[in-house]
Amino acid sequence: MAYPTATLDVIGLWVGWFLMLMIYSYPLYKENVAYRFAEHLFIGVTLAITAITNFSNIMRMCITPLMQGQILMIMPLIFGLMIFTMLIPEYRWVSRYPIAIMVGAGFGLGIRGTIKPNLQDAIIDTITAPTGGGLIDWFNYLWVAVGLICSIMYFMLTFEHSGALKTPTRIGRLFLMIALGGYFGNTVLFRFTMLTGRAQFFLQVLKLIPM
Amino acid sequence: MSLGKLADIDRRVFYWILFIALMVPFLNPIGFPITISPNTQDLYDGVTGDEVDEGEVWILNFGYGVSAWSECHPAVTVCTKALFREGAKIIITGTHYDVELTYNKLQDTVPDFAEKVYGVDYVFAGYMTGGESVVAQLASDIKSVFPQDHFGTPYDDIPMLQDIEDYSDIDGVLSSDTGDFGTHFMTQWQGAYGTKLAEIGIAMNGSTDLPRWQAGNFFGVSVGSRGGAELEQLIGELGEATTAMDSISVSHLLLIIAIIIGNIGVITEKLGGKN
Repeated sequence: MAYPTATLDVIGLWVGWFLMLMIYSYPLYKENVAYRFAEHLFIGVTLAITAITNFSNIMRMCITPLMQGQILMIMPLIFGLMIFTMLIPEYRWVSRYPIAIMVGAGFGLGIRGTIKPNLQDAIIDTITAPTGGGLIDWFNYLWVAVGLICSIMYFMLTFEHSGALKTPTRIGRLFLMIALGGYFGNTVLFRFTMLTGRAQFFLQVLKLIPM
Repeated sequence: MSLGKLADIDRRVFYWILFIALMVPFLNPIGFPITISPNTQDLYDGVTGDEVDEGEVWILNFGYGVSAWSECHPAVTVCTKALFREGAKIIITGTHYDVELTYNKLQDTVPDFAEKVYGVDYVFAGYMTGGESVVAQLASDIKSVFPQDHFGTPYDDIPMLQDIEDYSDIDGVLSSDTGDFGTHFMTQWQGAYGTKLAEIGIAMNGSTDLPRWQAGNFFGVSVGSRGGAELEQLIGELGEATTAMDSISVSHLLLIIAIIIGNIGVITEKLGGKN
């Protein structure tokens, strides 16, 4: 992508650059008016885009087919409007019906596809010994097995974690801490990658590096 | 200066160092080596060569917004190029509200679009909402989810969709997302019908995506920018992710240094008896 030449695009680029700096003024300096303005603008624009996208979606997927004679398309409209009764305390109960339908459908669909990939395949993969693998594969296989068993034991709350259960549940807790630490680490690194993207944008707008 | 003071360094000092240090590799690339992970190799192999026949129809789902472009988009770019070069047709869908911006970005980053015909080789179906339910419905009846494409053209008027009805007409799915849509496609497409599925996710989701690749649910996985950089190496066209990798590596290095400095400070304080 080349550096834009159209005036509006260039203005857009610089507005984005300044808004980015206004947002970063909070972590790099302290909370201030510029930061708050940019934050509120961001939330407002995001809500506007979300509203427009969803409105267009309803028009495209529901209203247009309804106008073309697909009479059943009136049902999602009615269910959608019923949810708004949540705003009227007297008729709040009406909103529970569409929510119940959505939750029920969600659970039904979820259960249908969950067992094979989330349970069966995962268990088979965990208990299948590596074939023709090296020492590191066997090490991974064994420590994942130990970690899995001990972590499951940690959640066995029927018995007190003492006696024979003391050591494996403590090991299980350690594995859980390592896993959660790894997950948190990945979350932080993801944010850093986003920051890298902004650093790149910062330099691109100044034409210090190609766009 | 006492080592204990290391625990009390103003966070803004770290942020300033980080912000400046991230820019340096863009101006003076370091060129850290990038090795190819087996999960990325599997993803690349799955969208190239004998694994993809000419005329196959794939779904590419954008489940990420502008904020995650740096993480997901390089890998999506490479996979789109690879599929187009194998002669596959692509239905582009989106589950993130700013899907149109990402679609426009893809047009910029994949020059192959210039040789392809809209409606014949690819179609932008647009945004779909409804979480797992809509992914399940997409498998049962694609037309019911997209009675028309993003630009308002009726489904029946789009040539490449004439024979496409449900999951059985789709040869593969590439799900790229920051959230749960990879899981939804796994449960509603791969788990239910055995559809070939790959995930292009953010680094944060790597720990949940990789076991699924090992279990065979995903034929390949790209993890964050790193995955994108590996794919750029594999296709032989270096791009955004490769450029950013040096900067990302520096950020990781700085984080490790910050953790070490903070811990030295806290340990010294504790040894000195300060709470």
